[in-house]
Parts: sequence; C-alpha cells; structure tokens
Amino acid sequence: MTRFMACMLLAATSVFAVSSSHAQQALPSLASPPPSSSSTFTSTSVSGSTSAPGYSASALFNFGNAYARAGKPGLAVLNYERAKLLDPNDPDIESNLRHVREASGLPTQPPAGLDRLPRIASPQILSWIGVLGLLIAGASMLARQAYPTHRGKFLASALLGFCALGVTLGCALSVWPTLHEAVVVGHSIPVRVSPTLIEEPLFVLSEAEIVRVNGEHDGFMLVKTRAGRAGWAPSSNLAPIVPKP
Amino acid sequence: MVAATSAWTPAAASVDASIEPSQIALGESAQLTIMTSGDGTLSMTLPVVSGLEFRVVAQSRRIEIINGATIASTSTIIRVTPEEAGVFTIPGVTPKSPPLVLRVNPKGGASSSLAPLPGFNSSASGGAAANGIRLTPDGSAFVRLEVPKREIYVGESIPAEIQVGMRNGFAAASNLPKLNSGDFTLNNLSPQPEQSARVIDGKPFTVFTWHSLLSAIKPGTYSLNFAAPVTVRIRTQPRGDSMLDDLLGDPFMQNFFGASITKNITVTSPDTAFTVLPLPARGRPPDFGGAVGSFKISTDISSTTNTAGDPLTLRMHVNGAGNFDRVESNMLAGDAQWKTYQPKATFKQADPTGYHGEKIFEQPLIASQPGVQTIPALAFSFFDPATRRYETAQSAPLRLTVSPSVADRAAGPPPALAKAAATPVEDSHSGLRPDHAAADASTDTLVPMYMRPQYLIATSALALLFGSGWLALRRRKRNARDLRRRHERLRQETIDACRKQMAAAATAGDPALFFSAARFALQQNLSGIWQIEPEHITTAELDSRLGPDHEDIRQLFALADEANYSGGAAHAADFVRWTSVVQRRLLEEEKS
Repeated sequence: MTRFMACMLLAATSVFAVSSSHAQQALPSLASPPPSSSSTFTSTSVSGSTSAPGYSASALFNFGNAYARAGKPGLAVLNYERAKLLDPNDPDIESNLRHVREASGLPTQPPAGLDRLPRIASPQILSWIGVLGLLIAGASMLARQAYPTHRGKFLASALLGFCALGVTLGCALSVWPTLHEAVVVGHSIPVRVSPTLIEEPLFVLSEAEIVRVNGEHDGFMLVKTRAGRAGWAPSSNLAPIVPKP
Repeated sequence: MVAATSAWTPAAASVDASIEPSQIALGESAQLTIMTSGDGTLSMTLPVVSGLEFRVVAQSRRIEIINGATIASTSTIIRVTPEEAGVFTIPGVTPKSPPLVLRVNPKGGASSSLAPLPGFNSSASGGAAANGIRLTPDGSAFVRLEVPKREIYVGESIPAEIQVGMRNGFAAASNLPKLNSGDFTLNNLSPQPEQSARVIDGKPFTVFTWHSLLSAIKPGTYSLNFAAPVTVRIRTQPRGDSMLDDLLGDPFMQNFFGASITKNITVTSPDTAFTVLPLPARGRPPDFGGAVGSFKISTDISSTTNTAGDPLTLRMHVNGAGNFDRVESNMLAGDAQWKTYQPKATFKQADPTGYHGEKIFEQPLIASQPGVQTIPALAFSFFDPATRRYETAQSAPLRLTVSPSVADRAAGPPPALAKAAATPVEDSHSGLRPDHAAADASTDTLVPMYMRPQYLIATSALALLFGSGWLALRRRKRNARDLRRRHERLRQETIDACRKQMAAAATAGDPALFFSAARFALQQNLSGIWQIEPEHITTAELDSRLGPDHEDIRQLFALADEANYSGGAAHAADFVRWTSVVQRRLLEEEKS
C-alpha cells in the first residue's frame, strides 16, 4: 500500500511538472517567435532593440498606459484586462483600469464574491495550491482506506486538501467568463439583431465596454452586454480579452 | 299646411287631376297635380291607396282677369311615393273624377328616368360633353379623366388626373373613383382629393381631383373609363312645371318642401382610347429591369477615409420621372476588394403620385484591404419613351483611403506606442499609475495556468489515479469481507448439520458418530475464531491455545478419539450432558 501511494505521488508530480513546464514559458522561450495570433500584443524589451515573444503583465500594463495616454480607452482597457489575467493582484493594473473606465463614463464596480479569489495569489501559485490540495486529498483518502485505525486523522487531512483544491476551482470559475469576453475598441459600435449591416441597430456599444461573446458568424460576433442586451456587432470593432489560438 | 289643403269648397269648380310620370321605379316619386278652377264648391280629400304614400308638397293659387272677368285657379301638388312595385290605381279626388294609374317598376336602371334639375340647360345634360365634360342626365355630376398622352409603352407610368364634379347641394361623392379596365393598372391613387370650385353652364360645381399613375400591362389598343359612386338628390317634381321650378329650384327650398330624395348612382367618364406599344427588344441592356422614364444617377460614399473592416455606406441616387417601382439596382456586386451586402432602397417622391422623385439605394460595404481603394462606376439602364430607346446612366468612380483595422493594428502596437510602452513613464498627472520598469517572464497564452489544458489534463489524470486507487482498495476490502462472510455462513451451516447429526446419533445410541460430530462442530467453531483450518485443530492445538477452564472441550476431543477407535458405549445421560456442553460452548463463542 505504501509503495502504491508513493508510486502515485511520484507519477503525479512528474506528470504535472512536465505539463507545467510545457505550459509555462520561462526564460528559454524568449528566443521563440511571437505568437501567431493576430490580436495579441507582444511584449517588448526595455531597450526596445529586441522583441520578446509572448505576454508579459508589465508590458501589457505599459501598453495599456500608452493607449490610455493616446486617447484610446478601448485598447487601454483591453491591455489592462489582459495584464490582469497574468497578474491579478497588481494594484496598479486595477487602479489604471478603473481610471480609464471612469474616464470613459463606464461603470466600475469592485470585485465581489468569487471575483476576489484570483487576487489572493498569482496564477502559478494558485495552480500549485490546486495540485498540492489534490495530492493531499487523494493520499489521505487512500490512507484512510488502507489504515482504518486512523480514519479521523486522514479524513481531516483529506478535507484540508479538498479546501486547497476548492480554492483553485473557485479561481477557475471566476476567471472562466473573462475567457469569453471582448472589449469594444471602436466608437459607438451598432449592435444589430442579425449578422448583417442592413438591419437597423438595436443599441450602441460604447468604447471600452466589455461584452460577452456567445458566437461568431461571417465577421460578426454575437455579444451580450452586462446589462443583458444581446445582438450582433462587427468583429473588427471587438477584441477578445483572450485571443483565440 | 297639409291639413289646410286636405279639404276646401270652391263654388262651381272643375277639377282636373294628372300624375306624372305614370311609370316610375321603386324608390322614385311621381307627382300628382290637381288643378281646380271656377267658383263652385268642391269637396276633395287625399286619396288612400295601399302601397302608396301621398303628401301635399305645394299649393298655389292664381287669379286671372280676362276681359274684366276674374278667373281663379288653384294648383295642388302631391308627391306620390310607392312603398312597393306594382300597378296602382288611384281613385279620383272627386266622385266624378276618373281614376289614375301609376306603374311602379322594381329598382334598377333608373338613371335614365332622372328628371333634370330645375333650370338646367337640357342641351348640356344627358350626354353631349360641354368642355369635355359629360354630365349625368340630371346634370348633377360628372367624371373626367385627364392624361398627358394617349400613346404609352408597356410598363410605362403616366400621371392621370381623375376629376369628379358634383353640383353643389345636389350630389356628393360616396366613394373613390374606380378604373373600369382590365388592361391598365392604377397606382398610387392619392388618398385625399384636391377640391376646387367650378362653374359649368352657370351652375356651381365642386370638383374633386385625384392624382394617380396609370400604366398598361400589355400592348394593344384599349379604352378605359372611370366610375365614381355618387349620391345625388333627385327632385320628385316632374319637369315642365315652371312655377314649381321657380319655387323649388333652390336646394334649400327643395329640402324645405321635401320635394327631392337622395339616391346612390354611379357616374362614369367618357371612354378614353390608348395605344399601348411594346418595349423594343433591340438594344435592350442586360441589366434592364423594366424602368421606363427619364432618369439620372449619381453616387456618394459615407466617408472617404475608413478603416478596414469598418462598414461604409455607398449611395446611388436615381432622379427623374417614371415608374420608380421598377427602378432596381444591385449596385456593387462581385468585387473582390469589397465585401458587399444587399442594398436597401428608399424613395422620396416629389409629387403626390410618385411620378417624379428620387430613389436612393444604400449598400453597406466593407473594404477587405487597406490602402487607396476605388469604388467602380455604377450603371443604371432604363427605357426613355421620349427618345424611344434604351439609355444607360453612369456614375463617376469614387476613391477613398482605407487604413488598417484595429485588429490588424493589434498584432503590434503603433511604433509610437511601442516606444512609449518600452520606456517607463511617470504619469501621475493624468491619474494613471506609472509604467512598470521590470520586464517579467512572458508566457505564450493569457489563460491562467490552472485553466490551461495541460494543467487540467495533468490534474485530471492525478485525480483519476487517486480515484482508481481508492476504488481498488475499497473493492479489496469489500471482497475480503465478503469472503469472510461466506466462510462464516458455510461454517455455520456445517455446525448446524453437526448438531442435527449429534441429535440423530444420540437417538440411535451411536457414541462414535455423536462424539465425532460434536468434535467437528467445535472444530468449525474454533477455526472461525482462530482463523485456521478446522482439521488443524487438534488436542495439541487445544492445549496450546485454550486455558484450564476449557477442560470439557479437551475431554470431548479425547472421548471422540476413544469412541472412534474403541467404540465404547455411552449412556443416554452422557449424550445429554455432552450435547449441552457443545451447545454452551458454541453459544459462548457466538457471543464472543
């Protein structure tokens, strides 16, 4: 039994380590070419002489500031939202995002409930908390089966692991809507009842407004505002917060 | 007044009665005239005939002096209105007067029997048109069609003016005029007619004029007319009574004296002949859509500078006169540089019928490529009846500058912005937190690690492994428990069988079988407790495992060996004692 659990832990750790190293580009990935997505903002080194590939929270934050100074609140909010995904507990990002939204006349509301969960740590730490919780919970449940004489202690340990796992799951639930949202990057974008330009607009989207994208068709996105209104808007005026690969 | 004329007594009077007309249609009235003259006294009462209504409408008295002699005469006019069709006999107003006959026909075709309005010129009434106007027989109304030409092409629309004139106080329009022809169509009839006053033969008329578009649907020579339902007031006074005409010539007086009734009739215009020509097949452009008239086109664009991906609106204005309902255009189509949508058309009419106006086509466009783009010239083909040939109007090409789309620009920030982003800026004055100087590690995706597929697969595999292990352990424990239960059940069944065997052996007095069964029952019992095979429980095993308080079990095992090998006899009391010993032991073990 002990050997079985040890093998399990070893296998799990190795599998996660491999996947994590693949998913997270570290310093060696700086030499790789930039992402092929057409709507990604590449980070730029401080010197400006070489371009660093991939996304960087600080670079995105700086881009957001640059667009905000240039009077483009839509693109500024887009970059801030992207930076927030990489570094959710950076107060500068939150502050500037709120400032730009307020300057654009858009409502700002502090995060509440589950939305505060991703801000307790960086996504990497939260990921490891989830793995650790899973290991603790799984091992405790196995030990509880194998050693009935210490069932109470193992149950408490399993509950602790499940709590850690729940934190990561809560973060995932909180971030999930953001993966399907887009920022309006044009001025007064008309939203129509069908994906054609001949329809009369139902309503107009303001620049820097964040909408949920429920579908795409022929150059249009089916969007739903936070007020609950839905319709088709031209894709060229909407930038997904998380671009499609 | 009626009561006063119901009876009178002239002295030496002569009475003459007549009815005109003697034949009327139901709904009309006839006029009964009673003329009295002389000085005698005459008693006269209104006749009573079932189905006829008599009503005195006027009475006049005339005194003539001829050669010094005075002659008085009285004229009484009675309106006779039938309530049903048939032949009625009106008795004489005096006993000596002859009866009168009135024939009342059913309704229909009564317009010919209308009496002309008092004082109206008979030459203008009932047919011959004065100034192109044909009045009804009673001269109360007319319908007239005015068109600019009589030779038109199939599909061509020409403005038509329909005039319905009604003499003031004698006629009123009750509905819209209607076209009487299946070879023409009447379009865009103005809902409200123009109203004007006109004097015809010295009589005031109110003329209502509707404007419309008339078009022919097939070539040939056709005639048409218009019909208008009109409500007219028919006088019930027969013609020829100039005195009454003088009295009742005014509509007010007619109304006052009740000398007229209203009737719905249909007034038609004179037939108008048209020659309808087919559109020539020679020289017909491929894009000809049936527009006939005279048109000009122009185009414009909503903005001459635009962003790729942003919609533009291309407008084509078609101005002129003709059948705008057939003016259609696909505008820009099949151009690789532009993504086009179905155009939408709106029409601004310059006159009530829509013969003159402007049709505007709006087509949304999206430039597919940035740069300086040209929208090609648009063309529109039509047939011009004036020149009798097909014409093609063309617009001028449009040029505009298309800048890259926001999405394209998002692939890399503008150089100025990239430079700005690369250099930390202290921006406290604008309310923004300053730029971050440190370049942190970059990732290839914005999705948090705990939501990436690799992470989810790894954690799912880990959870699956743990779940599988947990299930395997649980199943193993359950299998072991099930095995133990099965063994226990078998052991219990064996013990029960041994008990029965002991009872049978005690009854039969077989000590060897009795003790053998008793020993086997105890062996089964103890094997479940000690978790060893029953056959391994021997006397030596008992000595090593049991304490001194289990001497009876050892003794039973010894007796079993003795009875097995020597076959020694046992008393019944022994069987009872050893049975109780075995039962007690089994009970104790079960309890433990």
